[in-house]
Amino acid sequence: MIDTQALTKRFGAKTAVNSLNLSIGAGEFFCFLGPNGAGKTTTIKMLTGLIKPTSGKAVLGGFDIQKDPVKTKSLIGYIPDTPFLYEKLTGREFMRFVAGLYQMPASALNGSAEELLELFEIRHVGDQLIESYSHGMRQKLSFASCFLHDPKIVIVDEPWVGLDPKNIRFVKDYLKQRTREGMTVFMSTHSLSIIEDVADRIGIIHNGSLLHTGTLPEILALSQNPGSLEDVFLELTRGDEV
Amino acid sequence: MTRAGAMLWAKLRIVRNHFASVRNESKLKIAVVSVSAILLWWGAYYGFWEAFNWLRRFGADPGGISLGDIIMSRLLSVFALALFFMLIFSNVLIAFSTLYRSREVAYLLQAPVPWWEYYIARLIECVAFSSWASAYLGSPLILAYGITNGAPWSFYAAALAFYVPFVTIPAAIGAVIAMILVRIFPRLPRGGMVGAGLLAVGFFFLYLRDVFRSVNLADANISGIIDAMSRTQSWLLPSHWASRGVLAAAEGETRESVFYFLLITSNALMSVLLSAAFAQFVFYPGWSALLGHDMSRKTPPGRGVLSRIDPVLGFLREPQRALVLKDIRLFWRDPAQWSQFVIFFGIMAIYVASLRDRSAAFESATYRNWIVCLNIGACTLILATLTSRFVYPLISLEGRRFWVLGLAPLTYRQLVWQKFWLSVCTTSFFTITLVMLSCYMLRVEPIFFALSLYSIIVTNFGLSGLAVGLGSLYPNFHEDNPARIVSGMGGTLNFLLSMGYIILVVGTQTAVMQWRALDAYAHARTFAYALTAAVVFIAVLSAVSTWLPMRLGLRNLNRAEY
Repeated sequence: MIDTQALTKRFGAKTAVNSLNLSIGAGEFFCFLGPNGAGKTTTIKMLTGLIKPTSGKAVLGGFDIQKDPVKTKSLIGYIPDTPFLYEKLTGREFMRFVAGLYQMPASALNGSAEELLELFEIRHVGDQLIESYSHGMRQKLSFASCFLHDPKIVIVDEPWVGLDPKNIRFVKDYLKQRTREGMTVFMSTHSLSIIEDVADRIGIIHNGSLLHTGTLPEILALSQNPGSLEDVFLELTRGDEV
Repeated sequence: MTRAGAMLWAKLRIVRNHFASVRNESKLKIAVVSVSAILLWWGAYYGFWEAFNWLRRFGADPGGISLGDIIMSRLLSVFALALFFMLIFSNVLIAFSTLYRSREVAYLLQAPVPWWEYYIARLIECVAFSSWASAYLGSPLILAYGITNGAPWSFYAAALAFYVPFVTIPAAIGAVIAMILVRIFPRLPRGGMVGAGLLAVGFFFLYLRDVFRSVNLADANISGIIDAMSRTQSWLLPSHWASRGVLAAAEGETRESVFYFLLITSNALMSVLLSAAFAQFVFYPGWSALLGHDMSRKTPPGRGVLSRIDPVLGFLREPQRALVLKDIRLFWRDPAQWSQFVIFFGIMAIYVASLRDRSAAFESATYRNWIVCLNIGACTLILATLTSRFVYPLISLEGRRFWVLGLAPLTYRQLVWQKFWLSVCTTSFFTITLVMLSCYMLRVEPIFFALSLYSIIVTNFGLSGLAVGLGSLYPNFHEDNPARIVSGMGGTLNFLLSMGYIILVVGTQTAVMQWRALDAYAHARTFAYALTAAVVFIAVLSAVSTWLPMRLGLRNLNRAEY
């Protein structure tokens, strides 16, 4: 579902992402791991079509995001680390706005929106302005709106900020369940314990280059002194900050 | 619903919810702002009405057409032309912010929205955002014009109908300029950018200087004025189509009015279509380049203007020094801020420099004194604009970083007074220089030179006190955009009070400077008393304008919980 071919991004003299080759299948939960400034967010911006790669290409769901951005984006759901929400809209109004952006018919909207608001436990505040929401409620609304158009691929950038342990567990389980139904998840996070719980495959990026990809046991086996994922990660990235 | 429709629907909902949430605001605040807005509108209407009536009487020949009639019919063209170019300029800034910089852009662009559809929705937003202020200030002019000339209802209907296509064309032009600039500027090296910017500003000021010199209204005869006005009536300009069409409607020339309406509307639609086609190819590469712009610093530590300011401020004690340096750095590194500062004072400096071209009218002391009073008025108006635009948001801009100051070993009193002194010192440098230059060039009498200097010095205190005090009384810590902070209720109140303060100060000074002209009912011997009274009145007024808002603002900050 996600294929990158020699995907590269340079900012002036600095190479943020260097010839990234990834292939992520349908129903796979892929976790992207790397120190700060390694190139994770730049990769996500290229996958979501927010920036143009300097060279190479990103193909999602069979479409090149640069050549066919509208078709590609209609397959994607994106959850950023700090979600953008219109403060002066209510939760329900925001869901309706998102449905408009994704060209959903009104009949499909009403059922799905209410189900998702219920699922993420924000239905009771659906008619309140978003400015009155706590950070956790905003994050839940961001999740609910992301799943409204039933995306085939979900790209998640550090989604745990502001969520309490109960909600982290819920989101983790929900994403895992959706991958079993065939949805692909590409998640960038620093929460190594969560990666250990959910990842089908892990990719480690450092200084813009993909160091390794593999399942958790394969990644753990890369270390000469087997330990936790944290130990292996620190060893591979030579003690850079997580 | 189309995707552009969804974006516009959301914006309309936001506007509706904004209005609905006004009921949660303080009733006093709502009343003050509403009454002030109505008074300002009415004041503008009254001013235009008086001016048009004076023009109607100007050169009146019983039974014939007065010179005023000829001039007035051309005034609409001048107004429309000025508005047209102002709208292009403001739309470049608004389009840059709306298309590229606002926080929602990244969210909207990750959605499956075609570039042209995104552009159309944002362009409509630009039109709405840029046109409301011109509608607010332009409507009293149109109304006064219509009433003075006894225009039929078709004049007002035509003015309304022409307004929408008229404001659409500069919005499309402004958006295209913004997209071109975004494509060009990230590719230029920093030296090239600074050079290009300085060159553009230089050409702009040279052009203005030329305009000031070529149209010397003080010496021009009526035919010269009419000739100067006719330059604004090129048949290629949309402003000409709008003014001609509206005037034709007023004169009952329906065919001509409809022709101009169709002309301007078709051009407006074509400009939207062409700019959308342009956006389809140019917007995304520009956005991507802007997002991927190399932000790393090129100036080595210890070099550059800012590093040189640091030792200059060595006389200040900490933490004031740290706060002043921080404010200067933030201001310097935000081109949207300092470029407006340069434009305001640049225009004023060009004007003052043009006073060297002495006309015969400058030989009269009364005339010179009037010009000095008008100069002080212009200078204080620019000062009020600057304090409202740049100083008022200083406290609010601490925003989400306020905890840094809240936890620091520093009192709010120190913080608020630091902002005050920073404002006074910075603005004083420019305003005092301008006033001294204009007084020197006009060879003003020493006593009036001193009075002008005194007025501008205390005005710096009064306006800074109002801006910092009200900025602390009505802080908005949720907004990072200074323009939006200023457009809130506190910002509006600050601007209106600043205007009232200026009217009182400049009015008082004018009364003293024109004392001799008023001697029919004010004896010259009382001049010394009048001068003393004026000095005391301005001092008391400025002290109250400084002390009261600062005290109220400080009390609010001390009481607030963060």
